[in-house]
Amino acid sequence: MLEFLAAALIGLGTVFFVAGTVGLLRFPDIFCRLHALTKADGLGLALIALGVALLADGAGEVFRIALIWFFVAVAGATCGHLIASYARRVKAEADDD
Amino acid sequence: MRQTERQTDSTPPQPENRGSVVKLEAAPASPWRRFFLVALTLGLIWAVLTDFRLDALAFGVPAVLAGAALVFVLPASSAWRLSPRGALAFALWFAVQSVRGAIDVALRAFDPKLPLRPGFRRYTPALPAGAPRVLFLNTITLLPGTLTAEVSGDTVVVHMLDTRANLEADLNALETRVAAMFALS
Repeated sequence: MLEFLAAALIGLGTVFFVAGTVGLLRFPDIFCRLHALTKADGLGLALIALGVALLADGAGEVFRIALIWFFVAVAGATCGHLIASYARRVKAEADDD
Repeated sequence: MRQTERQTDSTPPQPENRGSVVKLEAAPASPWRRFFLVALTLGLIWAVLTDFRLDALAFGVPAVLAGAALVFVLPASSAWRLSPRGALAFALWFAVQSVRGAIDVALRAFDPKLPLRPGFRRYTPALPAGAPRVLFLNTITLLPGTLTAEVSGDTVVVHMLDTRANLEADLNALETRVAAMFALS
């Protein structure tokens, strides 16, 4: 039963990773693509982490998975912001020329 | 990020009455004290991540020292406090919002018509600089349809997937929740 639930969560997480990739390919500009990557992949990772945590043996492993999820989530939001502000700066400089 | 440069304007007057408020961090301590605190925290995280393996310390010790040494480069963050109830409420609300945001962007990505009306909007948060502002800026990116694109001074430039959405209302709500989490209201 637990394995079934874990598989469902991991499968659903994969769907969100696919959605993030589809958005990355289909969305028109860098800012819209960042939405797809930060949000869809973020939830994808959370679901996969949850599924894997269900199968983990021991609290240490669960805690490690939670830490990894947390750091990836914070890094994702921060990198998204850095890439967006860089893209805006480049765009502003191009407009000046 | 810009907000770290203005840590001198510190936190606004805060109510002292709430019994449920926990003071997590004292006023900026001396650099060496901060160095040891950060090194201890990072070391603990490394130990947990590597399952307390001794041979992993070959990478862990340099990484922890390098990470902790950043306190000499970065300005001290201003003191902040956390309301446990506000933090719990924020975590639950944040979980729901990030699921909504992911579903929203996934549906747009899969939709053959690609329903986007992207654009930029400016917003000036009333939250004090430091931890509350950083949390606010990072959370915007995970809300449905919004992304922190640029921070200039006190204004934030937000990129929206659909500019018809009510940005003002969404961000006001977010500010209220961040303020509650840091016991600012």
